[in-house]
Amino acid sequence: MPEKIGVYICSGCGIGEALDVAGLAKLARGEFKAAAVEIHPCLCGADGVALIRRDLAAEPPRADKLVIAACSPRAKTDAFAFDRRTVVERVNLREHVAWSQPPGEDDTQRMAEDYLRMGIVKAQKSAAPEPAAEAVSRKILVVGGGIAGISAALEAAGAGYDVLLVEKEPQLGGFLATVKRRFPGEPPYTELASDGLKGKIEQVLYHPRIRVWTSAKIVKTSGQPGQFDVTLETPSGAAGDRVGAIILATGWKPYDATRLAHLGYGLSRDVVTNVELERMAAAGPIRRPSDGKPVGEALFVQCAGSRDPDHLPYCSSVCCLATLKQAHYIREGNPEAKVFIVYKDLRTPGQYERFYRAAQDDPLTFLTKGEVSAVVRRADGKLGVTVTGTPLGADLVVNVDLVVLAAGMVPNSADGPAIRELKDNQLKVLQSDSAAQRAEAARRVEELKRHEGTEILNLDYRQGPDLPVLEHGFPDSHFICFPYETRRTGIYAAGAVRAPMDGARAEQDALGAAMKAIQAVEMAARGEAVHPRAGDLTYPSFFLQRCTQCKRCTEECSFGALNEDAKGTPQFNVFRCRRCGICLGACPERIINFPNYSVDMIASMIKAIEVPDEFEEKPRILVFLCENDAYPALDIAGWNRRRYSPFVRVIPLRCLGSLNIVWIADALSRGIDGVLLVGCKFGDNYQCHFVTGSELANRRLSNVKETLERLRLEPERLRLEQLAIDEYDRLPELIDRFAARVGELGPNPYKGF
Amino acid sequence: MAETLVIQPDTGFLRELLRSGGADLKKCYQCATCSAVCALSSEQAPFPRRQMLEAQWGLKDRVLGDPAIWLCHDCGDCTAHCPRGARPGDVFGALRREAIRHFAWPAFLGRWVNDPRALPLLVLIPVLLFGFLWAFGPEAASTHPGRTEFANEFPVPLLEAVFFTISAAVIAGFAVGLKRSVRAWRDRGAASPIWPNLLPALREIATHRRFAQCGAERWRYRGHLLVMWGFVGLAAVGTVIGLGHLAGAVHTPLAQSHPLKILANASGAVVLFGLGLVWAGRLQDPARRARTTYFDWYFLVVLAGVVLTGALSELLRERQMEAMYAVYFVHLVLIFMLFVSAPYSKLAHLAYRTAAMAASGGRAGR
Repeated sequence: MPEKIGVYICSGCGIGEALDVAGLAKLARGEFKAAAVEIHPCLCGADGVALIRRDLAAEPPRADKLVIAACSPRAKTDAFAFDRRTVVERVNLREHVAWSQPPGEDDTQRMAEDYLRMGIVKAQKSAAPEPAAEAVSRKILVVGGGIAGISAALEAAGAGYDVLLVEKEPQLGGFLATVKRRFPGEPPYTELASDGLKGKIEQVLYHPRIRVWTSAKIVKTSGQPGQFDVTLETPSGAAGDRVGAIILATGWKPYDATRLAHLGYGLSRDVVTNVELERMAAAGPIRRPSDGKPVGEALFVQCAGSRDPDHLPYCSSVCCLATLKQAHYIREGNPEAKVFIVYKDLRTPGQYERFYRAAQDDPLTFLTKGEVSAVVRRADGKLGVTVTGTPLGADLVVNVDLVVLAAGMVPNSADGPAIRELKDNQLKVLQSDSAAQRAEAARRVEELKRHEGTEILNLDYRQGPDLPVLEHGFPDSHFICFPYETRRTGIYAAGAVRAPMDGARAEQDALGAAMKAIQAVEMAARGEAVHPRAGDLTYPSFFLQRCTQCKRCTEECSFGALNEDAKGTPQFNVFRCRRCGICLGACPERIINFPNYSVDMIASMIKAIEVPDEFEEKPRILVFLCENDAYPALDIAGWNRRRYSPFVRVIPLRCLGSLNIVWIADALSRGIDGVLLVGCKFGDNYQCHFVTGSELANRRLSNVKETLERLRLEPERLRLEQLAIDEYDRLPELIDRFAARVGELGPNPYKGF
Repeated sequence: MAETLVIQPDTGFLRELLRSGGADLKKCYQCATCSAVCALSSEQAPFPRRQMLEAQWGLKDRVLGDPAIWLCHDCGDCTAHCPRGARPGDVFGALRREAIRHFAWPAFLGRWVNDPRALPLLVLIPVLLFGFLWAFGPEAASTHPGRTEFANEFPVPLLEAVFFTISAAVIAGFAVGLKRSVRAWRDRGAASPIWPNLLPALREIATHRRFAQCGAERWRYRGHLLVMWGFVGLAAVGTVIGLGHLAGAVHTPLAQSHPLKILANASGAVVLFGLGLVWAGRLQDPARRARTTYFDWYFLVVLAGVVLTGALSELLRERQMEAMYAVYFVHLVLIFMLFVSAPYSKLAHLAYRTAAMAASGGRAGR
């Protein structure tokens, strides 16, 4: 069936006043021979939408691909939601033209014309997506049988999903099974809770949908969301299963207290950590470990090795509560015992503030801000603790029977890329030809040795056997923007392995991760992408006959979507893919393309821009905007009627990382005077939705700049800016500053060639 | 600071504080809002925040030996603004009471005055004493024949003997208590000498200049100023008449037109008016204003009783009514209670506070 492009132009929301819409319609009919062209004063209204639907439904259809020239593609998505197999291209005449350019001007009209051309060209080249249709497993694997793991298992099973729960210890319960009492769990939040875990463990053990493996390890995890194949090593031999998604709830371990000698650890048996004290409390009355005498005075050191750049730089959020709880143990065991608590600041989030207040009311619990500067053994068998920086205006010396170090939490996670690098270097030590290489490899092995044997999931992924960690060893991919999400699609972190948290929060966290896991399998079943391009049916195809096995795509994919065969040919796993197009940008052979997003498509859009000759003194500037932050930021600038240069032409990219440098060559050779890229912030506190996209774009850009210099083109004609969505007011300035700089450079000498 | 402090909380002291007015002490979480709102606080001295922490930790010697606890006017600004409801104003009231008790000599009087259980004893002693005088004591003739006088039943020389003795004991009580207190202040580092600084302190007391800066409970400033000046007037009249009578220069009863009588009546009226203000203030919304304890009521009731029975007995004497003796008897009992308890009751602050203001140079320093 020959394709019929329908162009629907809205004249509402000020578009009709700013632009000659009839002229645009004429352009669609004339230049592009569009099958249907309509102008409507309110296209998103019932009338306007009916008009489009009528054309689609006509027999034969008047149009089978739609170009909707109206508002931003981020607006009125409900109104313009047609059958998802229909190609729909939105041309942003409202936010990007009518609301940001002076009405009635020639330059404004030409901008709109260019956008219309680009939209029609893109629609012409686009094809309807063929969703990936593969059989998927809806079973969910939960790794770790602590409070987070058993909660996640119960949540998923409760929602009707089969669950496989794997625990390395012989019994379920994790850390919470070892504590004497839990933090208050119900109003008025002033009383410690007795264990609430037993009931939950029993529910798990007898749940018809949950299969529990204890004393078990994961030997290998291969495949992709919906199709993970897991091999287990269990007491009754090897076992295997296919699961759809994975929840990593492997919990935490206490910070290594032997590194806290400056706070007295190791000095005496009477200096213990909070975890050790909890064990003592669970076993019986708390007594002085050195001689078994009752504890008359105890001192708790808060932030022992936490919020300290030399140890754990973060707050573990539970140590203050643990201390208040343990102070209660000591006080209830001996009504005359005195408990001193020295803190940086006491953090008892949420309702736990009430527990803090209750603990404060106890007459013999003494709290102060301060810092412990020394712990010494005294002749009388007590420990002398010196506290500085208190509001009392003097250094304090407190002589106590017991010093408790409130140490923080370290996640039980494994850094996949580091483990892979370790293994690669171990191999090099054995196999490298040159002595220098072997020495360098040996050095790296030494540095990375601490990752040895930390594997949990043993992923069969090209980029390493486990989840990459982000900061401080946590496998979360972005704490605020993407909770639960790791950098491996379909694998979600929950509980203390994701962020330091207490049992109650871990239970809520488990629910969140379970929802994510369920979403992952359901979306895989429908062939859709998960967050952030949730619901996207498209995925890249690889024209492998032309692949040169350069491995750029497999290396650069942030999500490990691509494995490699022995030769280095990429092996695509559609359900691991987040559809960002970073591989498309990486490929020098341009063999990776999406049905509605391809190297050729963007190149054709660039070619559709009419470039005035140099005598007209109207430069053209191409602006690639990241679809996630920069593009909506420019929309917001439009809502605020912010003006910017009429010479820019915007092309949205799925991610700045999908920038293929051929587009820059195309633009400059077409006579376009400058190319501006605006993407998310990168670096340690990155905001890129695809983790490394904008950083990769920056790297590619610096490579191109060298080429430009050889072509005697000023490298300043290319620029990358980092912008977050809330900085929308900066964007027009940024564009104008770049336009001014391009103006100073003068016209592109390749204009007209 | 180089100073090192070995911490040994006095749990008995702490529990006593919590029991007697400072019940919310432990709620303080050291945010220093109180220091920010307190007119007495300076950048160098986080007052009353530091004292709150010292009190919380039961550091008895340190906090009771701090003259700054006496600088507080109990204006209630800190209590009104405390986000945690720790009521620093009340805690300071309790601390002052503890200080008076701690430094009291003889110690048992310090305990009695602060203990409601000892109240019957404090009443019984003067009742018996003056009852005995009334029933069995010698009777004296009237100075104005035909008119009944108090001296008929309560001869002046006997009363003088009683009250001069009590006064001597009270002065001794004050002297020992103050001496102990000042030594404690010195140990805590309050450096200003007392005598040269006494004049500025008295000037401040006379004008209530700083008291006037209190925001939360302005009625206290006015009430206290009136009560204080009235009290000073009454004390002056009482002393002059007592000494004058001894010297034979003054003869009671004085005529209503006598300058001393005018001063006495005026002072009594001023005290009553001031007490009315204070009383009304204390009965306002109890959540906001300072909590009133037995310690406060004891002083307020006795003082009001003294002035009211004084006025009433004067009135009855003018009318020559028989009930005058009974009222005068109550008046004497109350004066006795006021006098005897002076170094151990709330009234003691007139000495401690004055000295503390001088000793600390008027600033909540350290």
